[in-house]
Amino acid sequence: MPIISLKNVSHTYSQGTPLSVSAIENINLDIESGELVGIIGHTGSGKSTLVQHLNGLLKPTQGTVEIDGEDIWLNKKKIRSVRFKVGLCFQYPEYQLFEETVFKDISFGPKNMGLSKEEIKNSVLRAANYVGLKEELLNKSPFDLSGGEKRRVAIAGVMAMNPKILILDEPTAGLDPKGRKEILDMIVDYRKKTGSTVLLVSHSMEDVAGISSKILVMNKSKVAMYDTVDNVFSRAEELENMGLNVPQITRIFMKLKAKGVSVDSNVYTVNDGCKRLVSLMKGGNV
Amino acid sequence: MRGITIGQYFPGNSLLHKMDPRIKIVLTLAFVFLIFFCKNFWALGLMAGFLLVGMLISGVPFKMLIKSLRAILVIVCITAVLNLFYVTDGNMLFPGTVIKITDKGLYTAIFMTVRIACLIIGSSLMTFTTTPTMLTDAIERLLSPLKIFKIQVHTLAMMMTLALRFIPTLIEEIDKIMNAQKARGADLEGGNLIDRAKALVPILVPLFVSSFRRAYELAFAMECRCYTGGNNRTRMKQMKITYLDVLFIIAMSGIIAGVILFNLFFVHLI
Repeated sequence: MPIISLKNVSHTYSQGTPLSVSAIENINLDIESGELVGIIGHTGSGKSTLVQHLNGLLKPTQGTVEIDGEDIWLNKKKIRSVRFKVGLCFQYPEYQLFEETVFKDISFGPKNMGLSKEEIKNSVLRAANYVGLKEELLNKSPFDLSGGEKRRVAIAGVMAMNPKILILDEPTAGLDPKGRKEILDMIVDYRKKTGSTVLLVSHSMEDVAGISSKILVMNKSKVAMYDTVDNVFSRAEELENMGLNVPQITRIFMKLKAKGVSVDSNVYTVNDGCKRLVSLMKGGNV
Repeated sequence: MRGITIGQYFPGNSLLHKMDPRIKIVLTLAFVFLIFFCKNFWALGLMAGFLLVGMLISGVPFKMLIKSLRAILVIVCITAVLNLFYVTDGNMLFPGTVIKITDKGLYTAIFMTVRIACLIIGSSLMTFTTTPTMLTDAIERLLSPLKIFKIQVHTLAMMMTLALRFIPTLIEEIDKIMNAQKARGADLEGGNLIDRAKALVPILVPLFVSSFRRAYELAFAMECRCYTGGNNRTRMKQMKITYLDVLFIIAMSGIIAGVILFNLFFVHLI
């Protein structure tokens, strides 16, 4: 049974007024448990609207959203429990920090869940460990931290709820290459440790290609593709027509292949590409 | 959070849009004061008629003007009900029953409602036909005599412009922060008064922090463009009083005279 299942979901902002905008249309989607899905698409393609439906921040104007086989809007009063099950971390999450200490801020979610003091402490420490926050930082004010540290604290704040599904909206936006790599590594690590389903929204192909198990491409309010990484990138031309790119390294390998060099084009990270080129130059098989 | 119409500009090319904003502010102020001088329905009717003409020539849809009333609907209703029941002199409308409403009470209730409606529509008519920048520019010039008392009029006007500019930005920001905290299970709707007040902390703190951040950034950006305050600054748009403005001033004077006459010759209601 898929852990997330959307049936005919549409959402129109300001419905019934002249300003109505259709943000997503007729989305049918099943995501299996344990998957790491990279969601890509242009600004305005409906990515953010889509993910806000998964934890019930937005109510579909049409269709149903099922988490664990249960329609989340069946009982309106239980919508908060859906938010604990589906952790959503927004873009630039560091602007949501408000508490006196990092520890208190991360514990906001678990506290809202009504956990005991001991359980709260455990989840905070575990979350801090996931994102690689040193323990001495926990007693500092979140406003004294550096930008990258603040982002980790905010992500830990969502992880501390132990969500079955973790959704991160552009977690690497505005970070330098080193910071991006750290965050992405941390996400992969988190998924390995917890076995939870992770959805990663991004508009950078390079970010999602290396780590995702599946890729969801949004285009013009609709799901254009939802498939494995290899299958999605094999449709490079379609992607380009949508104004999206395959990662640079993949493009190089595609061109090489087109020129008759005997390489596979399923290369998504520079590291992998280097290895293959080296072995190719040594005359081995790729 | 949405649907705030006060201070919204409705683009157009009507006579009211073309008026000199300084004159517009002065006339609106005169209109507001005059409404409080009306003592009976005749005088108030004259004002309402004047306002109606203004609404017609402004080209702003009536629907939008009426919408600006929505914000103060509660106040209007409370005033009307209080007047209806607490004015005890005059003749009983339903003698012999428990409903103790007098004709004078009813008139006062209607009078107050119309007065408040005129007040709000009149002032929103001004904001609908004047851009916020024009408005602050005009206020700056109207207040410029205060420079004698060493009051930094330009600074005040700039503060107003910036405050207006940041209202939509802040609304957007509040929406974002609310969603982020809701995603962490914040309960913003339920609970008693104290719970609700407490629930605001996770929203207000980040909002203040980001407002300060924005203020710093803006100050730097302004300094980078060599902004040093109002001294010796010239303006791109010069304001000029035209025949049109003179015409409106004459019309307003006529109304003032009319209200005074009506107040003198007809029975006072209040």
